[in-house]
Amino acid sequence: MTTTTPGELTAPAEPAPPKAPPPATVRRHWSEHGLVFTLPFLVVYGLFLVWPLLSGIRMSLTNADIAGTRSDYIGFDNYAEALTDPDVWSSLWNTLWFTLLSTVPLVVVGLVLALLAHHLRVVAWLWRLSWFAPFLLPSGVVCLLWLWVIYPSDFGFADQLLAEFGLHPGIGWLTDTRYAMLSVVLTTIWWTVGFNFLLYLAALQSIPQHLYEAAELDGAGAWHRLRHITLPQLRSTTGVVLVLQLLASLKIFDQVYIMTGGGPDESTRPILQYVYQSGFTGYRIGYASAISYIFFALIVIVSLIQLRITRRRREENAL
Amino acid sequence: MLGSFAGLGAFGALAAAGCSAPSGAASGQTRLRYWHLFGGGDGANMTAMLDAFQAEHPDIDLEAATLQWGSPYYTKLGMAGAGGRAPEVAALHLARLAGFAPGRLLDAFDLDLLAEHGVTAADFPVDLWRRGAVDGVQYAVPLDTHPMVLYYNTDVCERAGLLDGDGRLRPVEGADAFAEAVRAAGEVTGGPGLVAETLGADTIGPWRMFNTFYAQTGGQLLTEDGTRIAIDDAKALTVLRYMRRLTEEGLCVERADYQGSVGIFAAGETGFFLNGEWEVTTYLNTGLPFSMARVPNLFGTAATQADCHAFVLPHQTGRGGASNEAAHAFVAWMLTHSVDWAAGGHVPAYLPTLEEPDYLAMRPQSEYREVIDEVVLDPQVWFAGSASRLWIELGAVFAGVLTGSRTPEDGLAEARSRLQELLDTPSPFGETA
Amino acid sequence: MSTVVQETAAGRRPRWTRGRLVMLGGALLLALLWLLPLAWALATSFKPESETTETGFQWIGSYLTLDAYRAVWESGNITRWMFNTAYIATVTTVLTVALTAMAAYGFSRTEFRGRRTLYGLVLAGIMVPPQVLIAPLFAEMVSLGLVDTYWGVILPQVAVPAMVFILVKFFEGVPRELEEAAYVDGAGRWRVFWQIVLPLSRPVLAAVAIFTFIQTWNNFLWPFLVTTDPNAMTLPVGLVNVQSTYGVRYAQVMASVIIGGLPLLVVFAFFQRQIVRGVAHTGLAGQ
Repeated sequence: MTTTTPGELTAPAEPAPPKAPPPATVRRHWSEHGLVFTLPFLVVYGLFLVWPLLSGIRMSLTNADIAGTRSDYIGFDNYAEALTDPDVWSSLWNTLWFTLLSTVPLVVVGLVLALLAHHLRVVAWLWRLSWFAPFLLPSGVVCLLWLWVIYPSDFGFADQLLAEFGLHPGIGWLTDTRYAMLSVVLTTIWWTVGFNFLLYLAALQSIPQHLYEAAELDGAGAWHRLRHITLPQLRSTTGVVLVLQLLASLKIFDQVYIMTGGGPDESTRPILQYVYQSGFTGYRIGYASAISYIFFALIVIVSLIQLRITRRRREENAL
Repeated sequence: MLGSFAGLGAFGALAAAGCSAPSGAASGQTRLRYWHLFGGGDGANMTAMLDAFQAEHPDIDLEAATLQWGSPYYTKLGMAGAGGRAPEVAALHLARLAGFAPGRLLDAFDLDLLAEHGVTAADFPVDLWRRGAVDGVQYAVPLDTHPMVLYYNTDVCERAGLLDGDGRLRPVEGADAFAEAVRAAGEVTGGPGLVAETLGADTIGPWRMFNTFYAQTGGQLLTEDGTRIAIDDAKALTVLRYMRRLTEEGLCVERADYQGSVGIFAAGETGFFLNGEWEVTTYLNTGLPFSMARVPNLFGTAATQADCHAFVLPHQTGRGGASNEAAHAFVAWMLTHSVDWAAGGHVPAYLPTLEEPDYLAMRPQSEYREVIDEVVLDPQVWFAGSASRLWIELGAVFAGVLTGSRTPEDGLAEARSRLQELLDTPSPFGETA
Repeated sequence: MSTVVQETAAGRRPRWTRGRLVMLGGALLLALLWLLPLAWALATSFKPESETTETGFQWIGSYLTLDAYRAVWESGNITRWMFNTAYIATVTTVLTVALTAMAAYGFSRTEFRGRRTLYGLVLAGIMVPPQVLIAPLFAEMVSLGLVDTYWGVILPQVAVPAMVFILVKFFEGVPRELEEAAYVDGAGRWRVFWQIVLPLSRPVLAAVAIFTFIQTWNNFLWPFLVTTDPNAMTLPVGLVNVQSTYGVRYAQVMASVIIGGLPLLVVFAFFQRQIVRGVAHTGLAGQ
């Protein structure tokens, strides 16, 4: 899933509920108790987030299978197996590799597109339609489109486009280990860069105009304004975009599952797909849970690093 | 009081949890959901049969779904069984039965009910029927067997002098004799005389070829209980060296993926083609002069790698009643009408069909029907069967041997180690599976 | 058409210098690059099947045909999936907005024992990616008997702590004076919530609703896992998992791609501004 859950990991370090409630001069009816407001959500939250989180830990310590034939406690055997399973390592590596390959272009392209749209100030609808609209398409639609009409050899759109420029077509976009991951990255950029584009565009519009006016009076050129006003003003947005993008990329599943099935030679299989294969194709949900938690640990590490960075920046800003 | 309570109301609805996606069945009709994975020619045959079944059974509302072939299909089927809202009946490759935790993800057939619809154990080859049972309980009813066969181009073979008076391939026996026949065919076309799938993504052709020849030597892959490797190195090496010889001496096209191999034979570039029988409709449609025969016996025992399509009853909480009966009626109907299915090349498992004149008149589909008694199915382990890890892993190794990137010795060692790895992976269902 | 590139920078549309013309050229080229795949899919979907695999950039086949659309439509599945998706996305959105708004009000405007702890627990949940939970969650659905049901798809997608966080942040910014005046008039909390807080929060609620709807409509992994019955599948899942009996038909696949992508694009065309704002708002929340 590459769509981002908003606000993820951008929660403040400490929960900060507001201070005092309205003066409780009236004795309230039970239906006005705060719990009545929060309970419906808390029930769903408890049942479908907290409970699976905890039961998953228990499950990862058992040999549970999907059919429920057994569920014996086996200690940390699953974790030990996972850490020595070459498929875990290779799919973790593929996940990181995809994240590295996709994050930088997604952030940079998003920024460039936003700068273009912001500075041109014309046909705004066209920019939004072409760059943001793909983000609204379901992954199934996007991936089928690329799988069946863009990437096929020879008659696929990509090969035909190259042929127009006199290049040699017949590339195994998704079937050649050299190109498969890059093709997945390319599709992902086309599909999701619109989100980053939008965040940057919103940030650009909130840069105070007077900064530019002052610079203009000083006779600063466009390049100078970009380097010394725009980019510094976008720094915190870039931080957010970067983190959201990292987390989204780490969770890659749809594109690979649909377009390559993890192949060729499992060269694109991400960790989530391996969880899926172990747990659902192979029925070993105990083992799959264990791998999930290893993956979770990775995500938590990334988030903690991010928290640290934002906190330090906040402190710097405070100085 | 307020609209916001809608959320609470929703939870009330949850208690009445039966709210699965609504069915389209009209009242009075029994809903029968059937899942399968047949595409291409098989898909067309299946659809025609389903239409005929529906026309004859107005009281049943048949909802058929074609899911994506291979591992996605089996994953969904297993999850549906676990979820308990599975379809009434589904197709399954028989060699995958062990991986389906019969009794948990699959429900047992009611043999009396099946007999009421005219189908009994006596209608099937003993071995095949037995493969559908676990601990004496019948979980799968075989529909067909789909073995590897030898396609031959009748024009090419005629000119190479390989046909008998009736235009059939003269029986070939022994590894050298087969090599000579292939060479003769190659001299006619001026290239390799044989083509087979030798590489590709998730390639399994090389595994099929190996398992066919290796079974002909009488070798075993695993011990009877399926816990240890029982490969006879000498026999396996003989087979692997022979396979490599075919490609190295230019007898067999060295590099062809599945589609490529189908196309090469279609273009008349080779005299022979080793593949499953299911491409028969492809060639019947192109007007290629061809026929088909059992894979010749090269190493002493007549045997051919195969798998079987079978019907199973995915696990439903509270299976029974009209829908279960409809499922049994459906299975029996499909079997007794399997002559239509045989058009796709598969050898029907239902013995009475093998005697039907309609079937015998079907050429070349009935030419290799005797293989039904010599097919070799995978060992009964959870990682076996069509599109299984066994096939894909060993397929990749033997592809290396065929294309020369591995020596036969190296291929054997690698196959052993991959097999050991599969055996070492804890079975999801414990020791029994 | 209203634009988000706000006219705040009021009418200061700079002159067409050479630099800007170059930029415009580049932007148009990039826009073209992004639109071409969609255009090609559209073109393919109108071609006769036999011409879909020809090389040499034929945008239009020897004749235009709706055969592919007819075939896709007649298979019946796609209408079913569209209905499922619309139903699931609507119920999920309504539930999410209702439950998270109530919870956010409870956390930001009432006082009860354990409130801080519970809120802290909810915030901690923001760290948990739902993808990590697939194995235990599926097992839970099996024991609840919710596999292959709408509720099985919906409920886990409702439990989104980030939305509570966004709304709490917003409610905290709503001045208390208005509410206190209402209390003085004898109004209860539900009335204040309903008549004062919610109307004031309309933009943020819209943002949450829009984001949830898009997210649910497009979600793949969870619906993919919890539905096995093609009748219960959502559009993105069904398109990928159920195949045509006749193998790959390029024109048909593209027709279903177009049909599958169309609903949200149409909605986008009408509500561009709201969607853009909604996504940007929820996306940047907590910055």
